[in-house]
This record gives sequence, structure tokens and C-alpha cells, in this order.
Amino acid sequence: MLKENLQKFFKIDRRWIFLLLAVCIFVPIMKPLGLPNKTIAPETKRVYDYIEKLPPGSFVLFSLDYDPSTRPELHPMATAIVKHAFRKNLRVGVVTYIPGATGMIEEIFETVGKEYNKTDGKDYVIFPYMPNIVAAMTQMASDIYGMYPMDRNGRDTRTMPVLDGIKNYKNVSFVVCITGTAILDYWVAYVGDKYSVPVAGGVTAISQPGYGPYLQTGQLKGLLGGMKGAAEYESLIQSPGKGTSGIDALNLGHLLVLALILTSNIIILIVKFL
Amino acid sequence: MSETWMIAGAWLSAGLTIAIFSFLYKDNPFFKIAEHLYLGAGMGWLFQVSVFSVWGPKIWTPVSHGDWLVIIPSLMGISLLTQFIPKLSWISRYGFTFIMGYGSGLAIPATLSTDFMSQILGTVQPLSLMASMSPFAIFNALLVAFGVICVLFYFFFSVEHKGHFQKVSNIGIYFLMVYFGAAFGNTVMARFSLLYGRFDSLYASSSARNFYATQIILAGMVIYFVLHSFFGKKGPAEGEAAH
Repeated sequence: MLKENLQKFFKIDRRWIFLLLAVCIFVPIMKPLGLPNKTIAPETKRVYDYIEKLPPGSFVLFSLDYDPSTRPELHPMATAIVKHAFRKNLRVGVVTYIPGATGMIEEIFETVGKEYNKTDGKDYVIFPYMPNIVAAMTQMASDIYGMYPMDRNGRDTRTMPVLDGIKNYKNVSFVVCITGTAILDYWVAYVGDKYSVPVAGGVTAISQPGYGPYLQTGQLKGLLGGMKGAAEYESLIQSPGKGTSGIDALNLGHLLVLALILTSNIIILIVKFL
Repeated sequence: MSETWMIAGAWLSAGLTIAIFSFLYKDNPFFKIAEHLYLGAGMGWLFQVSVFSVWGPKIWTPVSHGDWLVIIPSLMGISLLTQFIPKLSWISRYGFTFIMGYGSGLAIPATLSTDFMSQILGTVQPLSLMASMSPFAIFNALLVAFGVICVLFYFFFSVEHKGHFQKVSNIGIYFLMVYFGAAFGNTVMARFSLLYGRFDSLYASSSARNFYATQIILAGMVIYFVLHSFFGKKGPAEGEAAH
């Protein structure tokens, strides 16, 4: 009798699990629990340390290549790193090879730019969307202006104070690519390795394990993975944002999954020995 | 953006999100509308990107400024379309030849250097620096090298996997399983993050400023399902639970 009752657990309508998961994710949004994010991954710390060590005025090139489908994971990390760069008074250039990213890039610089009193053209420049990633990356090695003669608003880039003294990758101190695609691989292969430019990345949690080999060899200077990576970076710069607030929901969701796995395994064991 | 447009956007966003999620309960017309709208909007978006972000700045603007050279690559690009006309499809070979040559020339050296040579170096080099490494770093370097050899053995099919070969190959499977486990765990985390993103947006749309868009749409959806369960005909697809 007990065995049959226990076996009913495996025939549960999966929609109950969907509902349970929805509750676990939604409740912390309505009422944040404030669960701490105590661990900082060493690869996240390396990105932070690299930016921290750059002298003011260094030029950092951001490649923000994500669209709304990966926004919850990547937008908070992009925002956090841009904040850090502005706080350090670095000059920022932004390129994108994903057309859907343009609106979100504007959103970041509209809010973070205002927060740190940064001016478009003087402290940062946003280049327009460019098709054919590899061609753009390789041409920028000889002349950035050949690829981007104008910014996204059609203004001449050669006369912009933010690009003063910047001609090619030799003048770029750091490249940060935040993407849910394989564009980070291109930055490593066609820019980092080829022209000895330090490259770091921010990727979705799904892609994170695949970049382990690049981290081990030092081809990637650091890596932020998923919403947890964003939360870690927000902790490091002491500016909590969407990444930090998502940690509650992630923790509860993971606890639910763990509870379900444990419960089913315990039931299987009990059923086996009954 | 005016306040009205912001509110309209919140209603549209909440409506489409709830319509897509409603499939988790069961298939329904709202899900189908949202699904078709997504496909149509996606195609429209890509079309405008091609016209305004590629064709305009890369072909139209240079040609209108007298840079006629861009016509050559444009013609090569257009030649790919002759694939659809059997009698003229041979012309497309010129475009494909260029793409193949250009792509291979760029990709092969970069891949060999980045993913092959550098990775071999990264695996072997730490073994030569052991004198200056901490015990944990030495263990790590040995583990990486051991794992690489075992996994490579698993994918080496010219020797029958028997005896010692099988043992090494089996250890390779365990290394692969650890990777797949880590990848799966990260996939779960990524999916939860995306779900959090949508729920966060739904929560934002539920405010009084947005006239309680989420609550009203959700209530409407529930009423539809209740009424449908009482009065609707149960077709094979409609009655099916989400899987």
C-alpha cells in the first residue's frame, strides 16, 4: 500500500512542479529575502582586478553582443562593468555585432552615463551595429576609423576626444565581450591571441563551462558567468543591481530542484527495499 | 517615450509573456497568437536590419558617394540568389568560392593557433613549472593532463577498447560526465535566470502605474481556461497537457 502511494509521486502532473517553481521565483521578486551572495568566483575577481589596475584615461573596448533573450543574465553584468569603468575614469568604446543589442546599450549609457556625469563623445563612444564580425575585428587591427568612421548617430569619430590617440588594438588596454553567442571565441582567436590584447568575457551560465580551457591557458583574463557572475561583480563594486536581486530567486529555484531530486531518489530507494 | 506608450508597452509585454507561458498549462489560441506574432515580428525585425543596417550603410551610401567598388562584392552576394534558378545556379559558385576561400583563410590559422596549439601548450606547460608551483597547483596540472589523455583515449577508435585501454577510456567517460553535469547545472541556472527576467517584467507591469496589466491579463486567462473546460470542445490538441 505504502509502495503504491509512494509510486504515485512519479506520476504527479508536471504542471504542479511548474506552479511550485513559479511561486519560488515570483515570491522573492515581490518580497526580497536578502539571501547573501557570499562567494566570489576567482575568474570574476580577475576581471575586477584587471580593470582596477588600469590607469585613468585607458581605453577599454566593450563588445556588447546580446539581445533581449539573454538580457536577465547579461544586462546586469554589462551595467556593472561599465559602472566600474566610469568610476575608474576610463575611456569607453562600445561595439556590437548583434542588432538587437543597440537599444539596451543606449539604456545602459543613458542611466550609467548620467550617474557618473559622463558625456557621449568625450568619455565614451558607441559605434553602430556592424555585420560580418570577423571582417570588422580584423580590420580594426589596422585602423579603427576604417571600420567605424562615424558613431551610431553619424558623428565623425576622428574628431572625438574619447578616441584621442586611439588608432588600433595597440592603443586598446582591455577588451570586454559580453555575449550569449560565440562572439567571445572570435575575440579570443582573432584579437586576443593574434594581437596580444587582453580579453575578458561575460557569458550566459550555459556557455560558462566551455570557456574553462581559455581561462586555464590565460587566453581569457577573466570571466563572468550568468546572473551569479553579475551579482558577484555588483558585490565587488558595491553597487547592488538586478544581478543581486535575482540571487534570491535563483537560490530558491535551486533549492526546489535539489529537494525534488532528493525526494525522488529517497522514494526510489524506499520503493526498492519495500 | 510618452507615458501612454510606456503603459501600452507594459500591457503588450505582460500579455505576450502570459500568453506564451499559458502553454505550460495546455495548448490554447492565445499561445498560438503570441507564437505567430513572435515569428512575424522576428522576420520583420531581421528584414529592417538587413535594409537599414547592412544594405543602406554598406551599399547604398558608398555608391551614392561615388564608391563604385562596393558593387563587386554586392554582385557576388547577389550571385548566391541564383541558387533558386536551376539554369543560372552555376553563377552562385563564384560567390560561394569567395566565401569558402575567405572563411577558410581566416578560420584555419586562428583555430589551429587558439584551440589547438595554445590548448596543448596550456596542458603541458604547467608540468614543466612544477618546482615553482604550490601542491594544489601541481595536483591541478596533473589532473588536467590526466583528464585530457583519458578523454582523448575515449575518442580514439583505431584501437579496440579492451583491457587497460578500456580502463583508461572509462576514466575518460567519468571526466566527460563531470563536464556534462557542470554544463547541466549551469543550464538550469541560466533558465531560472531567464524565468526571473520575465517574472520581474511581469511584476513591473503589475503596478498601479500600468493599470494592473499583469493581474487583469492573468485573470482573463484563468477565466478563459475555466470557461473552456466547461463549455469548450475537447479536440486532440486542445485537451493535451503541456509536455
